[in-house]
Amino acid sequence: MASVILSEVRKAYSGFEVIHGIDLEVQSGEFLVLVGPSGCGKSTLLRMIAGLEEITDGTIAIGDRIVNDLPASQRNLSMVFQSYALYPHMSVRKNLAFGLGNLRMPRDEIARRVADAARILQIEELMERKPRQLSGGQKQRVAIGRAIVREPQLFLFDEPLSNLDAELRVQMRVELAGLYNRLGTTMIYVTHDQTEAMTMATRIAVLNKGNLEQVGTPYELYNTPRNLFVASFIGSPKMNILKGISTGQAVELAGLGRLPIHVAAGDVTVGVRPEHLAIGGAGDISVEGTITLVEYLGSEVFIYVALPDGQTLLAQAPGNARHQRGEAVRLSFNARGTHLFDAAGLRLETSQ
Amino acid sequence: MKKFIRRNLAGYTFLLPWLIGFFALSVGPILSSFYLSFTDYDAVRAPQWVGLENYEYMVQYDRRFWKALQVTFTFVLISVPAKLIFALAVAMILDKGVRAIGWYRALFYLPSILGGSIAVAVLWRQLFDNDGLVNTLLGVVGVEGPNWLSDPRYSLTTLIVLAMWQFGSPMLIFLAGLRAIPQELYEAAEIDAAGKVRQFFAITLPLLAPVIFFNLVLQMIEAFKSFSGAFVISGGKGAPLDSLLFFTVYLYNEAFSFFRMGYASALAWVLLLIIAVFTVIAFWSSKYWVHYENERN
Amino acid sequence: MTNAALDTASTAEIARTYREARQRRAKRAGLLKHLFLILTSLVMVYPLIWMLSSSLKPDNQIFGNLGLWPSAFRWENYGNGWNAMAVSFTRFFWNSTVVTVLSVIGNVISCSFAAYAFARLEFNGRTIWFALMMTTLMIPYHVVLIPQYILFLNLGWVNTYLPLIVPRFLAGDAFFIFLMVQFFRQLPRELDEAAMIDGCSPFKIYWAIIMPLSIPAMATAAIFSFIWTWEDFLGPLVYLNDMRDYTVPLALRSFIAQDSVTAYGQMFAMSILSVLPIVIFFIIFQRLIIRGIAMSGLK
Repeated sequence: MASVILSEVRKAYSGFEVIHGIDLEVQSGEFLVLVGPSGCGKSTLLRMIAGLEEITDGTIAIGDRIVNDLPASQRNLSMVFQSYALYPHMSVRKNLAFGLGNLRMPRDEIARRVADAARILQIEELMERKPRQLSGGQKQRVAIGRAIVREPQLFLFDEPLSNLDAELRVQMRVELAGLYNRLGTTMIYVTHDQTEAMTMATRIAVLNKGNLEQVGTPYELYNTPRNLFVASFIGSPKMNILKGISTGQAVELAGLGRLPIHVAAGDVTVGVRPEHLAIGGAGDISVEGTITLVEYLGSEVFIYVALPDGQTLLAQAPGNARHQRGEAVRLSFNARGTHLFDAAGLRLETSQ
Repeated sequence: MKKFIRRNLAGYTFLLPWLIGFFALSVGPILSSFYLSFTDYDAVRAPQWVGLENYEYMVQYDRRFWKALQVTFTFVLISVPAKLIFALAVAMILDKGVRAIGWYRALFYLPSILGGSIAVAVLWRQLFDNDGLVNTLLGVVGVEGPNWLSDPRYSLTTLIVLAMWQFGSPMLIFLAGLRAIPQELYEAAEIDAAGKVRQFFAITLPLLAPVIFFNLVLQMIEAFKSFSGAFVISGGKGAPLDSLLFFTVYLYNEAFSFFRMGYASALAWVLLLIIAVFTVIAFWSSKYWVHYENERN
Repeated sequence: MTNAALDTASTAEIARTYREARQRRAKRAGLLKHLFLILTSLVMVYPLIWMLSSSLKPDNQIFGNLGLWPSAFRWENYGNGWNAMAVSFTRFFWNSTVVTVLSVIGNVISCSFAAYAFARLEFNGRTIWFALMMTTLMIPYHVVLIPQYILFLNLGWVNTYLPLIVPRFLAGDAFFIFLMVQFFRQLPRELDEAAMIDGCSPFKIYWAIIMPLSIPAMATAAIFSFIWTWEDFLGPLVYLNDMRDYTVPLALRSFIAQDSVTAYGQMFAMSILSVLPIVIFFIIFQRLIIRGIAMSGLK
């Protein structure tokens, strides 16, 4: 079990910097998810931790050892790849045993570990098959099995569920969470899917264009996002974004009303999550609009409302709410459910 | 009946030139050659049936036959592995990404294109001349080179070097094969505590096995059929002292210098048999070390 | 770095130490790699350079000395060599050109016909014929050489170019059929099907659709066919007896077979010229050639 400390880590390709000075501390035993849109650098960061990419600047320490000059084969970690990377010419058993053989482990120890992993992942009947005879989900399990037989101090996952179909993905998510509960090893998990991040992580690190936007528990990220990017990225469906101007005493939302919030004067952005928009009712802000789309999910309903000024807001209602396209409705929300961001997109602490 | 014609007309029309060629230039000659191998034939008078005499003579009395076999086998068994090992080594170096790889690839391949030409054979003969470039270079480091062309112990070396000079062709194929191995497998292996050497034996070689096999068979067949180099350098007769008497050269001489066509046909069939046997051995052994990715079990 | 030093050094300094060490290692490895490659390239190319330089040197300087630069440029080696034999090389180059061009045409046409049949058309026995075609790849020329010679002798074709050219029009070279079949297989069948629905005959499909799309494969076949035919030695050796009919390789060999060969300069000059067309083709088409090799190598 190891902690991972990234200190001012940078990555550049031929002078072009893609990761800009990241400081991150992964505590021993936690499940940290690196999440962000495509191209944000999360995979690159993971690969630098693994030792598959050179560290252009800064240091990475695993445990209490700086690993900048340590080759991947000696870092005592395991990695699960997005495309599984199973050795195609070896049977499942040999795939699992390969790493242990390289470490010169005694034969019976290898056999024991392989058998244990096979049992945990329920792949015992597949042991003699070759990877090409396995389905996507089975391959994924073998890849995970290959990772756990080594009993490493650190697990790395590079978008392992991206190649699976939706249903399998949900199932594997649960299994991976179970694995983490069972082993308790430090795990660093990369994904672009914020749902995976929210459901699996003990803490989440949000990356954007090579910068670390925020690190925190799922609760912290959802309820106190540090900037506009995190606020928009975390939470599905997305937060509604409105433009406003603060007078110092209140915040004016063009055409919509006034929020009784005291922040520094200037341009502000106001974010309201769909679940804080109520249909009908009254609140600090109340507007009329027309429903353009109703998405019925059974347990809840998502209602898209077009406002007179052209904006569309998304509201969440309980599943038994009955609404139709074209219906005129009133939307309302209170200052309490809003998030305020300044002109630069940073969170503003509010008082009312 | 009409359906039969309609279904096959197009196919057989397009196939017609090949069909004619196949029967006239392949099947016919093969059968004819087989027949001739049991005859005495000088291309002027009609063939005289002699039964197994040609083969008996070949095996029991013909010293030159055995010499030709020895020379050819030595050549094949040395030059083919040497060529392939060198080709693989260079391919692996180039595969890691080198600046100007295009230049190197073309440069290494050029000799393969020119290698079979008479110009190169002529050049090679002069290179290994007693005062030629090779001996001059050896002289620079203080070694006295032998008289390559007239010393039967060293003459074959000149042709082996010529064969190795043409490593570019298998190298290109190895390069393509190496490219086909996903980089991720090496990464996974590295994380699995495999060093560079282990990665080569555990991943590169097994996944490259089909390509190695292909190159092996191809180069082997080419080596058995080698002719121009030996012909020119040995002056057409396998000199000195038959040390360059490649099987093909021997065959040519028997057929077109001495017009012993019947005997030459027998020789040709022995060559065919040898190539076939080696190919079969290669295929049979491939069961043990070649695993194809897309095989269905 | 020692732990004590670690405590006092800043992150940037630590990172820099590691980075510089790594870059030094990489540079060293890169240097070795390049050294090896450059050395090997030199060794590969040196014989050819030596041949070129020898073709321009005075004869007595060719052997025994390492200098590549001629002390005096004997351009006349080329001129003299050209006419050194009873027949001028003009004739030989013309002969080679005729044989090669016709062979290339024959190859491309007949092999693409056969390949089209194998790859795209349905007919009884297609699998068997294909298998037989593949086995011809393994037949050494020498097995069929003698009977073919007898055949051509009886047809009265010996001493003409016919034995060298006609087989090319009969798809004699299975390698090219194979190459094209591989290529055709990659073209989507929907193209043929659409054309068939439009009422095209198989010949029309071949002519208007498959062939234009197969220019790369045909070009590759043409180039290889050119190179191999130009360099072909055994065929002309067997079938051409009259010196006036000789192709360039045969002429070159006669050049050196003359007992009193001391005109090495001229010999090398003619050697250079004889491979010049191939080298030029190679330089122009190298990408195609290299891709063709790789494609034929990997099914």
